[in-house]
Amino acid sequence: MTSALSLVGLTRSFGPKRAVDGLHLEVRAGCMFGLVGPNGAGKTTTLSMATGLLRPDAGTASVLGRDVWSDPAAAKALMGVLPDGLRLFDRLSGGELLHYVGLLRGVPPADLALRSGELLEALGLAEDRDTLVVEYSAGMTKKIGLACALVHAPRLLVLDEPFEAVDPVSGEGIRSILRGYAGSGGTVVLSSHVMELVESLCDELAVVAQGRVLAAGTVDDVRAGSTLQQRFLDLVGFQAGGTGGLAWLRSSSASS
Amino acid sequence: MVALLVRLKLTLLRNSLRRSAWRTVGLGLGGLYALALVAGALAGAVALRSTSLAVTADVTVVAYAALTAGWLVLSLLVFGVDETVDPSKFALLPVRAAQLQPGLLAAALVGVPGVATVLVGLGLLVAWSRSVPLTLAALVALPLGLATCLLLSRAATAAFAAFLSSRRFRDLAFVVLALLGAGLGLAGNLLGGLVSVGPSGLRHLLAVVGRVAGWTPFGWAWSLPGDLARGQLLFAAAHLVLAVALVVVLWRAWGHFLAARLVEPVEGGGEATRVHGGGWVERLYPVSPAGGVAARTLRYWRRDPRYLAGVAGFLIAPVVVIVVTLTGPDSSVWPAVLSPALMALLVGSSLAADLAYDGSAVWAHISAGVAGAADRLGRVMSMLTVYLPLLVVLLGVAFGLTGRWDLLVPVLALTAVLTLGGLGSGSFVGTLWQWPAPPPGASPFQRGSSGGLPALLSFMVTAALTTLVALPTVALVVTSVFVPWAVWPALAVGLVTGAGALWLGVRWGGRRLDRRWPEVLTAVSERVA
Repeated sequence: MTSALSLVGLTRSFGPKRAVDGLHLEVRAGCMFGLVGPNGAGKTTTLSMATGLLRPDAGTASVLGRDVWSDPAAAKALMGVLPDGLRLFDRLSGGELLHYVGLLRGVPPADLALRSGELLEALGLAEDRDTLVVEYSAGMTKKIGLACALVHAPRLLVLDEPFEAVDPVSGEGIRSILRGYAGSGGTVVLSSHVMELVESLCDELAVVAQGRVLAAGTVDDVRAGSTLQQRFLDLVGFQAGGTGGLAWLRSSSASS
Repeated sequence: MVALLVRLKLTLLRNSLRRSAWRTVGLGLGGLYALALVAGALAGAVALRSTSLAVTADVTVVAYAALTAGWLVLSLLVFGVDETVDPSKFALLPVRAAQLQPGLLAAALVGVPGVATVLVGLGLLVAWSRSVPLTLAALVALPLGLATCLLLSRAATAAFAAFLSSRRFRDLAFVVLALLGAGLGLAGNLLGGLVSVGPSGLRHLLAVVGRVAGWTPFGWAWSLPGDLARGQLLFAAAHLVLAVALVVVLWRAWGHFLAARLVEPVEGGGEATRVHGGGWVERLYPVSPAGGVAARTLRYWRRDPRYLAGVAGFLIAPVVVIVVTLTGPDSSVWPAVLSPALMALLVGSSLAADLAYDGSAVWAHISAGVAGAADRLGRVMSMLTVYLPLLVVLLGVAFGLTGRWDLLVPVLALTAVLTLGGLGSGSFVGTLWQWPAPPPGASPFQRGSSGGLPALLSFMVTAALTTLVALPTVALVVTSVFVPWAVWPALAVGLVTGAGALWLGVRWGGRRLDRRWPEVLTAVSERVA
């Protein structure tokens, strides 16, 4: 069976810093896949290269057998993407933005109107469809970004930090949308720093640090009997301690 | 605080130079240019020492008032102000606007224009250091004058940025900018008059201009030494009071806008920003990726202050030309009737800057796999929607006022080839290189929203390519002066070569984008890796 997403030897350097270093990853179709790692691990760089937004120095990425870098049009048509740290066309209203992305994706107008209404309703944005995206809160911006990633009914969703700044109620809404999507055969790749979230939501995950995959497999495989949080800390080499510092920050020691 | 902010500016400047070769080259070129100006000004100041007191007074007042007006006009219309040290970044720190102001002003002096202005200003000392009282007067005038320059540009751009981002005052701001452009035209006309009066009249005219300039806000401070030299103590006192009052008022006004930015660093809050759900904009264009791009960019033309400033930029040059021609003693109507063609020449370069204005939001095009040609074509369509009505109005005004309808066909030929060729050139040049522009919420008067050297280069290359496309048509139009029937082939050639250039520009630009989309995204993203 072809992988939904297959990354082979992806490498990218920024100046002297090697952000992603020969990274391999296979995500099977129908899987909810989590990508976890500390800040600066190369998660965003990896996902950018996997989605055609950043050209790798070496290595290949393919989506359901279509190479992202030699056949970008075919690969991109299969993918819905929510990047992190890139702007949206925020002088459009939420409804206009969704319509715009639908037009860019070549969604037929009749379908587009129907899907826009349903997506905005499902994500709790129906009230704000005529408000400019620049006025949206961080969480609402994430949600409209997610709607844009879904509007063309992709086979693979690549989401960079989809739950950041999203409130618990909307978060649950997004989870159920994603579960339903994966249950019907869609594939989700999402990155997060929140271990509990990945543990409860994902079927499989990979731990990334310094541009390499340190561990990958089902959640149970990676946990290996411990909690995911503890395994993660062990894998990335966190040294507990250093509680002696920052004494001045403790309010009890302040001369008040 | 002052030393801290100046050090911050220097650090930011050094880091930006280290990160971008464009900046380094730009700074070098700017420095050379400024050096030449400073050398010229100082040489002039030395030469003035051997002239009479009256001549020195008139020349210094006119020159330095022009310098001050230049700070206002150039920062409003061309360069914006240097906000390397961005005041809104201090919003989280426990500082007041009044505490920041001296430091920000000092930091504004760090940089090529600031240093050059101070050096040029020293020329006032050179010219007037003839006696102790005159030297003292120049010493008082110099800091007042320099402060006027800097504060005028800061206060004016802050006020206009606030107006342009508020819907209520947006249109008013346009009118003021247009009036400023017309005023420039009149000033240019006055200078044109200088040339025609000959040497004897020149001296008289200089005295008149000097007297007028001295009583405009631009010349108040700079008039001090001249008043004293002429023994007009009352005038000197009046100029001193006015100059100090102006600096105080500008300081307060700038502080007011600064304080507003410290509590509301993010533009756009507070106002009702719900938009009408009506899809009439979309119905203008075909249902396709290109049509989508057209509808989106058309909405940006109305909602993004940077595009609004761009429309003002289109209009100012033709308006200036028309005003100059119609009020001037010189009776040639050619400049006025050619002003639509002048506007056509500017259209392409606006198109070339479009990707930079999108910023990292352009990832949506890349991720959706939008064909480069569709992206190019969509932008051309919305540009035409904005620009064609302006062009029709301008043609009507230019020909209505001059009454030279006999020149309509050759002007139409030139306008057609420059518009179509400009759109083609802009479509292509825009894909050659891109630069990060400040985001849509930022003040359109922030330096860098004009894009610096890469934007200037893009403008020049687009204009050069457009001119190249127009050459055959221009040749035919010139021929038509002697062979009247040549206007018809000129019109045909203009339309055909222009349309051909547009087709090629969209095609080549589109192909280049298809190959380079990810590199474009990296180039326009604010956080350059």
